[in-house]
Amino acid sequence: MTSKWTSRLIIGLTLTFLIGPFFIIIFAGMSAGDFMTFPPDGLSLKWYMKVFTVESFRESFALSLFLAIFGTIAALILGVPAAYAISRYNIPYAETIKTVVAAPIIVPGIIVGLALLRYLVVPLSFTVTLALFMAHTALVLPYAVRVVSSSLNNLRSDMEEAAVLLGCSRIGAFMRVVLPNIQSGVLAAFILGFVTSFNQVPVSLFLSGPGVRTLPIDMLSYMEITYDPSVAALSALLALLSVAIVFLAEKFLGFSRYV
Amino acid sequence: MSNAFVSLQKLSLAYGQTVVVPELNLDIREGELIALLGPSGCGKTTTMRAIAGLMTPQSGKIHIGGVDMTHTPANKRGIGLVFQSYALFPHLTAFENVAFGLRLKKMPVSEIKSRVEEGLNTVGLSHLADRKPAEMSGGQQQRLSLARSLVMEPKVLLLDEPLSNLDARLRLDMRTELQRLQRATGITMIFVTHDQAEALALADRIVLMKDGVIEQVGTPDELYNNPASKFAADFFGFENIFAIKGSNIIGSNGSLTANFDAENGHLAWRPSAISVGSGPFQGTVMGVSFAGEQREYVIKTDFGQIKAANPAADPVYEIGTLVAFDLPSKSAWHLPNVGNDS
Repeated sequence: MTSKWTSRLIIGLTLTFLIGPFFIIIFAGMSAGDFMTFPPDGLSLKWYMKVFTVESFRESFALSLFLAIFGTIAALILGVPAAYAISRYNIPYAETIKTVVAAPIIVPGIIVGLALLRYLVVPLSFTVTLALFMAHTALVLPYAVRVVSSSLNNLRSDMEEAAVLLGCSRIGAFMRVVLPNIQSGVLAAFILGFVTSFNQVPVSLFLSGPGVRTLPIDMLSYMEITYDPSVAALSALLALLSVAIVFLAEKFLGFSRYV
Repeated sequence: MSNAFVSLQKLSLAYGQTVVVPELNLDIREGELIALLGPSGCGKTTTMRAIAGLMTPQSGKIHIGGVDMTHTPANKRGIGLVFQSYALFPHLTAFENVAFGLRLKKMPVSEIKSRVEEGLNTVGLSHLADRKPAEMSGGQQQRLSLARSLVMEPKVLLLDEPLSNLDARLRLDMRTELQRLQRATGITMIFVTHDQAEALALADRIVLMKDGVIEQVGTPDELYNNPASKFAADFFGFENIFAIKGSNIIGSNGSLTANFDAENGHLAWRPSAISVGSGPFQGTVMGVSFAGEQREYVIKTDFGQIKAANPAADPVYEIGTLVAFDLPSKSAWHLPNVGNDS
């Protein structure tokens, strides 16, 4: 009996700490007052409305969206062939390559950001947007390789040989047989990459310059100046967006199989 | 052989440093149904993959239809292969699977349609044209895979263990089906199997392989009745094989003196040739098993173990019983000493 109540307590506390902050943010954004407080000072949706009128939020949202979409697409263009090569060919140092590819998630983002700033942006005068794009591509790449690898491993290679014997070239077999059968894995990798890139803070922190900021960085700097509930409202909206994406992905793709 | 349709000349196959087939020569006539038979690791599948163009030989030549195809890429050889796993395309329906190769040939849509329908009809799957492979049974997938290769009108059709994934009843149906298709289309077929019964039942000629070397080539009758080596004899059911030295036969535990007609090489008996109950020799029953028509015995003797069989209707000898048996000279198959016998 006691152990049953203990386990309930542990589950309850875990859920409180996992989901609790989410509710606090939702309600803090609903405040009718001018400061972020919890419990809120009365209820209103005015801060949720205000979010859409802040110019810098709109610009940084557009940049974050751009980075998340095109950074992930670039990562997939690099990652799908890499995953294919690793899973199909007995290439030397396959394990090493997998580890190196995973480096951007293992190395602290702060270091990646600093390195990119110090060695790309400053000496080579790369634009901040380009550096951000490269950084986000690199950060998403490991997820792309891993998720696509796992769906490739479930696909038997004799299918490609069958396609070749029916007249396909090797590339043709990949396009006509492999790609259609791993498309849900590719889509899952895209969603994971999108969310990862969109929520990225440490690397972007170093690479954000005047006028070029991703949304999370913009929210940080907004809060340093103005402590009104609009940041809470925006956070709640972003959290809901992420949850919605993952929920839909789970429903239609069985997302959790891939991650 | 000048009329060879598929000709493998001094073919040498290796994976990296591992030589699987050192040097293989084989001629196959047009329209033949050939079995590549042997235990796993004997190089039969590798040989088949080389014919298909899925692996490049280290040396040697592959001629198909009189053309040197040694270096022709797999997608230009015009050879069909039915994979052991069927290798169907899971995202396509049965119809689209069969149409796959025809579409690549840029054939007119109407002709593709009629040929796919004909192909599905040949294997009795017309009613399942819209199903995906996952919605079909193993036997249906097998036939779909066959249809997908057949509509391409291949010069040679290769089949990798075509019956191994089917249950016993389907296996018999598929055997008949394959023979029928082969007679109807006249396509040269080469199938790989490890099952001697399958090879005997289906093939016009059997190529028995061991360790990458052809042990014997012949008709099912020849291999079954006149195996040329100890390995071949063992593979085709001569489960009692003993070396002969003078008037002794040598078992694993000792020798037995008897007057056999041969003086060297080996003598081999099928279990059915040795009956239990009477005869000049004695042994203890170690195992009895019922096998339908026959009752099979494992008997321990002073010189080694033997396997014998009586008609099932005969009295049963229980385990532990001392029984008499005979090794009849007239039903022994004599294998003269040949180089590769151990």
